[in-house]
Amino acid sequence: MSETRGRRAPATNLGLLDATMIGIGAMIGAGIFVLTGLAAETAGAGAIVAFALNGGVTTFTALSYAELAAAIPKNGGGYAYVREAFSSPVAFVMGWTRWFTYMAAGALYALGFSSNFVELVHLYWPGLPDSEPWIVAYALFAVVSFVGLNALSTEASGGAETVVTAVKIVVLLIFVAFGVGAVQGANFVPLFPADGGALTVLPAMGLTFIAFQGYDLIATVTEEVENPTTNIPRAILASVAVTVVVYLLVVGVAIGTLGPELLAAAGETAVAEAAIGFMPDVGVFGAPLGGALIAFGAVFSTVSALNAVVIGSSRVAFAMGRERQLPAGLGRIHPRYGTPWLAIAASAVVMLVATVSAPIRVVGNLASLFSLLGFAVVNLALIRLRRRRPNLSRPFEVPAYPAVPLLGIGLNLLLGLFISWETWAIAIGWLGVGVVVYAVLHGPSLPFGRGEPSGDPGASAGGTAPAEGPVVVETPAADAADPWRERDGPSPDGEDAREVEVDPPASDTEEER
Amino acid sequence: MNERADLRVVVVGSGRLGLETARSLAERGHDVVIVERTPERVAAAADEYVAAVIEGDAARPSVLAQAAPERADVVAALTNTVGTNLAVCLAAKRLAPDVRTVLRTTDPDTAEFEPFVDHVVYPELAGARRTVNEIEGGGVVRTVEALAGELEVFEVTVADAAPVAGLSLREVSLPRGSLVISGAAGHGVAGADTELTAAETYLVAAEPDVIDEVRRLFRG
Repeated sequence: MSETRGRRAPATNLGLLDATMIGIGAMIGAGIFVLTGLAAETAGAGAIVAFALNGGVTTFTALSYAELAAAIPKNGGGYAYVREAFSSPVAFVMGWTRWFTYMAAGALYALGFSSNFVELVHLYWPGLPDSEPWIVAYALFAVVSFVGLNALSTEASGGAETVVTAVKIVVLLIFVAFGVGAVQGANFVPLFPADGGALTVLPAMGLTFIAFQGYDLIATVTEEVENPTTNIPRAILASVAVTVVVYLLVVGVAIGTLGPELLAAAGETAVAEAAIGFMPDVGVFGAPLGGALIAFGAVFSTVSALNAVVIGSSRVAFAMGRERQLPAGLGRIHPRYGTPWLAIAASAVVMLVATVSAPIRVVGNLASLFSLLGFAVVNLALIRLRRRRPNLSRPFEVPAYPAVPLLGIGLNLLLGLFISWETWAIAIGWLGVGVVVYAVLHGPSLPFGRGEPSGDPGASAGGTAPAEGPVVVETPAADAADPWRERDGPSPDGEDAREVEVDPPASDTEEER
Repeated sequence: MNERADLRVVVVGSGRLGLETARSLAERGHDVVIVERTPERVAAAADEYVAAVIEGDAARPSVLAQAAPERADVVAALTNTVGTNLAVCLAAKRLAPDVRTVLRTTDPDTAEFEPFVDHVVYPELAGARRTVNEIEGGGVVRTVEALAGELEVFEVTVADAAPVAGLSLREVSLPRGSLVISGAAGHGVAGADTELTAAETYLVAAEPDVIDEVRRLFRG
């Protein structure tokens, strides 16, 4: 699915660095500023272990993304790959969860923005109201602004992206550079809180996982990347590596300077609080410059991340609308603004509801849970495509297959198990809404069949065929029954036994389109 | 009729014609899967990054099945071997009765294939016409294809539910690099008051990088 925003100027050529910066920019943002304190609340100084392990878990899925992105040039991200590998209902579930991931992340970033915005303004003007309703009001204002901006403007922020990302990284590196001298080893003892011990790292990982998603945005600017089949996989892996290093430095400094208890107390403004503690006390306009700089970095990062998820969520809804997996209106662009405005508006509504109704820890957990589930399905799609389409050209291949995608699935689901049951309840509720939407759009159908009854009355005779699984024919490459072999000599596709999927002609495939 | 807004097309053969076709389709926002036998061409097609590429002989059902013709709207067999193209089209129809098939022939006599496939293409004919235009040079009115370099000039019919249906050009904002040339059904030159009516056909010019957006505005 090609994105309709921008594309009005001739495509720029993005090198490996630009593409990597897009991935880093999408990941480093709100997550690290907003979630460090919440993770310390859960796992104490062990928060740093949670970030390190999450980096490892993410790498497995990043490898899968790299293989899929190099092989399948589509910019719907994970949804597009799953659409390629699975039947319509599975793809719908994936798109539906990806969509919610972005929207929950949007609510998280909006709430993180407002807390840090209050922190920044208070340095200069303590009179800014900061009661709970005000915090939510600032967050709503941020969501509405960016939704409006994206609904009315088609100017893509392609060139600005690298600059914005560089600013974010520089702010964090300043934080690390000044803080590293103030780190006290005593703050890391004990590593884990007394109650819960080392196991607390698992819920902390589940909570902070959302900070590691976003590199899939690289796969959405593919049209402009030079040598895409080599550079996109490299950019995905490089951006994950850089991000993990930056995170560990920042979390390490935050814990080492402020200590886990105070970090936990500061919640979503923990990194800014830590900075106010150790940054040089140069007064500018009556406030310490260092603290102001980090607080500004937090505001700036949450805002840019919010913008990215508004774009990301509307893109998924738009792609699903184009595929007729959601109402077709979502896949249309506005005649005057050229933007997928209905997709943006629909995303905005859910984002606003989440911002108003859920506390920051819950939206953080929700975003992470949906991210984990989505990533598990992407790994599954990789395995399925390897089995179903052995001949697909894969310029980049996951090493140590099938261990890597299997570990990706297993670890993602494991982390999901440590996310609270309340969060799961909301998640299951959202999936329930999805089932209803799907049923309304497609008529009642078996959720995981392949040939589904079509919602289109004038469809082919197969329209009422019972849903059947594919007929899987084991065809060893040396099968004498293959009439093409005599003509061909040695077959080009290796000697592996193959699954060939042949749908019975009677099965209606209208939904597969 | 396909339900989706964009076509999914299986292009068999990524020689010069196949690759140009795939590129153009991707430019217009369609989904493309290429099937190609030669490893060098597979690598070249993958580097183009306009389509997923299946490596193998599409005349083998096990290879063609991997391109998922049952999900496609169109299968276009564009290799330079007519036998392969015919086999691919027939196998595709068997795997997916609803799919439209396009066969490239290397012979001007296209009639014999018409009972077996939906469309027959003889690219040399278009090439020859274009060449004749160049040979004649100035003084005659050239066809649109001969004038267009990067610019694409095409007819487009406004779909019922399209974003622009029922609006005048004044109320629509087309992307920079595109222009509506004619009024409905080619009557007159378009102006700000020209209304874009559903089911009417208009002549439109667009640069390659906005063509997908133009198509989405007119077709929904």
